[in-house]
Amino acid sequence: MGGEVRNDATIMAALGRQMTRAVQRQAVAAGNLANVDTPGYRTKEIQFADALDQELGTSAPAATNSRHFGAGAILAERPDPTDAKGLATRRDGNNVQMDRELLALNRAAADFSAAETVLAAKFRLVRYAINEGR
Amino acid sequence: MSTLFSAIDASASALDVQRARMEVAVSNLANAESTRGADGQPYRRREVVLESVPFDQQIGAAPTATGVKVAAVVEDQAAFRRRYEPSHPDADAEGYVAVPNVDVPEEMVDMLGAARAYQANLMAIGLIRDTIQRALELAK
Repeated sequence: MGGEVRNDATIMAALGRQMTRAVQRQAVAAGNLANVDTPGYRTKEIQFADALDQELGTSAPAATNSRHFGAGAILAERPDPTDAKGLATRRDGNNVQMDRELLALNRAAADFSAAETVLAAKFRLVRYAINEGR
Repeated sequence: MSTLFSAIDASASALDVQRARMEVAVSNLANAESTRGADGQPYRRREVVLESVPFDQQIGAAPTATGVKVAAVVEDQAAFRRRYEPSHPDADAEGYVAVPNVDVPEEMVDMLGAARAYQANLMAIGLIRDTIQRALELAK
């Protein structure tokens, strides 16, 4: 029983991090989009591994010790945006692609939305348990 | 949450900038034939210079969005076009009139670019607003 509760907490923390990351991606994409016509501006991006997959896919459900959770999934809380590579640069030194940034915004919004839906369901379950099923 | 608000600020700054670009393009178009300005010279084509502005770098717990601002509005120093029109009051001794260095198709293209960028940033604000709304739904 205790193990399941801890498992829940891990999943909820992971979902929270997914939402934080989606927000950061959205902020970076919005900044890129705002500078679509700024000469010399370079597209910024934040590199994230598929952290939720890593956290949930391998260790979490079958772990026998709480310290197994999150091993290798500790991510920088303050990732710095770096310049994106492999984008065509225009003559004014700017390499922002509007469609790429709009796609990133949409994708981040969808990720956030998905995590929020699951998190809300988790909260409902917890509330259900607290209220003893009433 | 502050990250989201900084993202909205960045998009809003871009809306401002694109509107300024549009205004400059419109004034260039309106004055494409103005052979007399305040200084007695023909109108010179104007151009906005954009500059990016990082928001809250010292406070930022998370990366915040980069905004944009109009650094300057500069006059295009390209030579005026000359048109043969001896009956024009501003014609010189040889009958040529100096007309503004405005290229109408170029201004139209610039306006289209500004309109597209404005739309894209407006869409970004909508998406960020949706995200904030979703975040608030957790409290229900």
